Order: sequence, then C-alpha cells, then structure tokens
Amino acid sequence: MALLAGVMSLLLWFVELPVVYLLDAPELAEKVKWIPFVHGYIYAFYVLTAIHFAAKARFTVRQMIALILAGTLPILSFIAERRVARNYQ
Amino acid sequence: MSRSRTFANVIIAVAFATLFVFLGFWQLDRAAQVRELQKPFQELPLIALSEISTSSTNLSGDAVNRIVEFSGSYVTQYLAPKQTVNKEFETSEWSVALMEVDGGGVLLVVRGEGLIETPRGEIAVKGRLYHRQFEDRAPEATLSSGQLRRIDPSLLLAEYSGDYYDGYVIAMSEERNGRQIVESSRVSADPTEPTVPGYYWQHIAYVVIWWLMAGVVLFLLLYSNGRERRTKGELN
Repeated sequence: MALLAGVMSLLLWFVELPVVYLLDAPELAEKVKWIPFVHGYIYAFYVLTAIHFAAKARFTVRQMIALILAGTLPILSFIAERRVARNYQ
Repeated sequence: MSRSRTFANVIIAVAFATLFVFLGFWQLDRAAQVRELQKPFQELPLIALSEISTSSTNLSGDAVNRIVEFSGSYVTQYLAPKQTVNKEFETSEWSVALMEVDGGGVLLVVRGEGLIETPRGEIAVKGRLYHRQFEDRAPEATLSSGQLRRIDPSLLLAEYSGDYYDGYVIAMSEERNGRQIVESSRVSADPTEPTVPGYYWQHIAYVVIWWLMAGVVLFLLLYSNGRERRTKGELN
C-alpha cells in the first residue's frame, strides 16, 4: 500500500501539479485529471492500512502519525515502507 | 500522564477533528457546486445591465452568463491576444472596446476578432456578461501598446479613470440609431464553463480523506490513552 501511495504521490507532485500549474497545456491537463482523485482514494486506504499495522506493532502515537504523514510525500512513503518492513518482519 | 495533559490532548484532538469535519463539508459543498455547474445550461431572459450589475462593485455569481442590454459610447479600443475561441484551444486576437455606459460607469466590451473599427456615437449593445479573466493569456513582455494581457478592468485603472463595471461583455449585436451594425467577426458568446476547480469525484475523495482524518485524530486520542494504560499495567 505504501508503494502504491508513493507512486501516486510521485505522479501527483511531478506530473499532475507541474502540468496544471506550470505548463500552459490544457489538453495535457485533461489527460492527467484522474491522478488527484485516484491518489485521494489510495491515500485513504493507505491511512487505514498504516493505522491497522501501527496498532498491531504497538507504535507510539508519534510513530503512527509519522507513518500516516509519510504517505503524503513521494519519497518518504518508500523509505517508511522499507524501514517498517526491515524492523517488523 | 497528568490530568491537565490529558485534558489538553482531548481539547487538541477535538479541535483538529472539528476542523477536519468542516473541511470535509467544505469539499462536499464544492462537489455539489461542480455537479450543479455540470447541469445543462438554462438561458435566462434578456435583462438590462443596470438591473444585475453596478459599477465599482464585484460581479455577482448570478449575473455571470446573463445576456444583458445597455447603451453608451465607445471611448477607446484595445486588443487582447491569445484568447481561446473553441474547445480545440485555438486562439485569436480580440478587439476589446471600452464603453462609457449611459447612467454612469465604464465597461469592457468584446466586439469581435481582429482589429475592428470602433463605431462612434450612441451604441446599444446586447451581449453576454462574463467574469473578468484571472489568468494572463499573453506574457506581458510580448505585448505592445494597446494590448491587454487578459480582459480585466483592473488593468486599465491607471490608463482611463472611471467607475469600472466588473467583468466584461461579449457583444452579440450592436445598434446605432436603431440600425444594426453588421460585424462579421463576432466572437462566439457561449456560456462560460464551470469555474469551480477540480472534478466531482476528486472533491468526494477529499471529503473521505478529511472525515477519515477526523476519525484518525479521535482514534489516536483513544489509542494513546489505551497504550498508556497497557504500559502501566505491564509495569505493575
């Protein structure tokens, strides 16, 4: 889930946002309009998965919040996924 | 954890949860607006400009897209390059004239494509009212004198003093002394597209996220208390 959320964040930050706000390309903007709302729904599932896992692993509240917020930044979710997988497998 | 700290945590969590719930309602409202704007456009009857708009005030949402009639005399003319003319995003240069409206105020009127001679004298106009443009269509560096980077009355305040009407009108017809002014290069005055950014399911996704966040904040509060009690129990 973290990998999927990370890929969607990458698409959002480095594809959708530059196309809509930096480029003057309305046709291209039309083609990438699916990215923000797919990202929205995937992030919701990511949050639920993160909470489920963090509660099972008895994370502190701070660790849990960090894991939830990691899903909002493109690279951070990959790092969080690797760290969590290494420590709790 | 001390009682005062627990109380502070509860206050913070409830404040955040309330904020997230309201943000969810805000997005729900935007989703409803998008859906409303996607409904087939219903044309309303012709109305006098003075009945739905006045100079020096912001254009109301209800006034946008109305076909209005007014009269006055043109005082100067500008060209607005790179204006989108169809859904294929083709652009052209529009002739935009500034009219001193009878009864007071000045208003921007799009008369047609390309450079058109501005008629003199008292002119009666029928046209569709639009919100002022917010984004530049042409970079300022590429413009020459008499060109507008976007159709926005605020750009002209320094050049021509007067009480400006907000927005602009795309002329559909003009008359002088009761006779139609024939103008072959009129710009299509289709109703403006929805201006609420985003898509319906995108806003609904944000509703889900904000309300989920409200739930998460309250869950974290309970989780934190439960975790502390468990840790204490283990120590005892």
